[in-house]
Amino acid sequence: MVFTSVANFVRSRGPDEFWRKRKIFKMAAHYIGRSRNCYSLAIRSVHRALVFATKGRALKKQDLANLWVTRITAGCEQHDVNYHVFRESLSRSNIMLNRKSLADLACWEPFTFKALTDIAQKRALEEGIAPPKGNKVLFVPKRGSQKKT
Amino acid sequence: MSALKRVQQWATFARIWHVYDAAWQNPFHSAKLLKKYLMGLHKPIYHPLNDCGDHVIVINTGDIALPEDEWKKRAYFHHTGYPGGASWTVAWELHDKDPTMILKKAVYSSMDGNLQRRYTMERLHLFPDGKVPADLMKNVSNQIQQIRPVPKRLDHYSEQERKEFPKLIDYPKDYILR
Repeated sequence: MVFTSVANFVRSRGPDEFWRKRKIFKMAAHYIGRSRNCYSLAIRSVHRALVFATKGRALKKQDLANLWVTRITAGCEQHDVNYHVFRESLSRSNIMLNRKSLADLACWEPFTFKALTDIAQKRALEEGIAPPKGNKVLFVPKRGSQKKT
Repeated sequence: MSALKRVQQWATFARIWHVYDAAWQNPFHSAKLLKKYLMGLHKPIYHPLNDCGDHVIVINTGDIALPEDEWKKRAYFHHTGYPGGASWTVAWELHDKDPTMILKKAVYSSMDGNLQRRYTMERLHLFPDGKVPADLMKNVSNQIQQIRPVPKRLDHYSEQERKEFPKLIDYPKDYILR
């Protein structure tokens, strides 16, 4: 083992408690207030931070996926294609690009993206791919709405 | 593309001014549409942290159309902060006080409550009628399509058109039309 200072060399065979706490203090080094100096407070905030980090790894993936969908939808709207029609048409045309690459193309290579939407439009027209049904109904006659006042 | 034009970015990061005619439009459906332009969600460069939202001028907010009996039923809550300071204002009442308020609140509540929301709202310009200051109107370069067709009123049809409209029955002579 290599020790950079004499103080650590002295501790090297010493109490396990010091090294156990040091691991936590190292992780809490950038906190403010007592939570970086007092062990009982430091361990609390380090535990909390590690839980956040664990959850954050999944959330980051979801956030990015949402951002890609937003960007692809924006790119599709510029060329009058529905997002779902676009994805379905591309997969039927055997263009296997994932959301990340499509979003990159929409953002950085708009001309390439336009070519893809052109392909999608053609394919959708040929195979009759329609957007999923949404709440597009403008007026639904109800019992009271036809009455004369 | 040629090597010189490889990184050409015409006005990609420019703010665009849109105009939207709110006459006969549902404010809550319009809010979802306007939000997209205000936040920049319609651009492929969108990112929550990049400030790419556009300006939207909304005209004729006095002529919005609320669905069904929402004018009577929808209540807007306000609290002064003092005890007993709560008040509920019905939509038609609020619309009488300020014809832009219903659409403004609809857009405001359609967006997530974060620090950016107030700044995004600053880019929304609402006018109760068609009178927009010339210095705002000169920026406009795009019109947002209305989400539903504007119905034509009966008294806007000419006498000729009304007469020629196909009729199912003729009212009897002694029938009293109210």
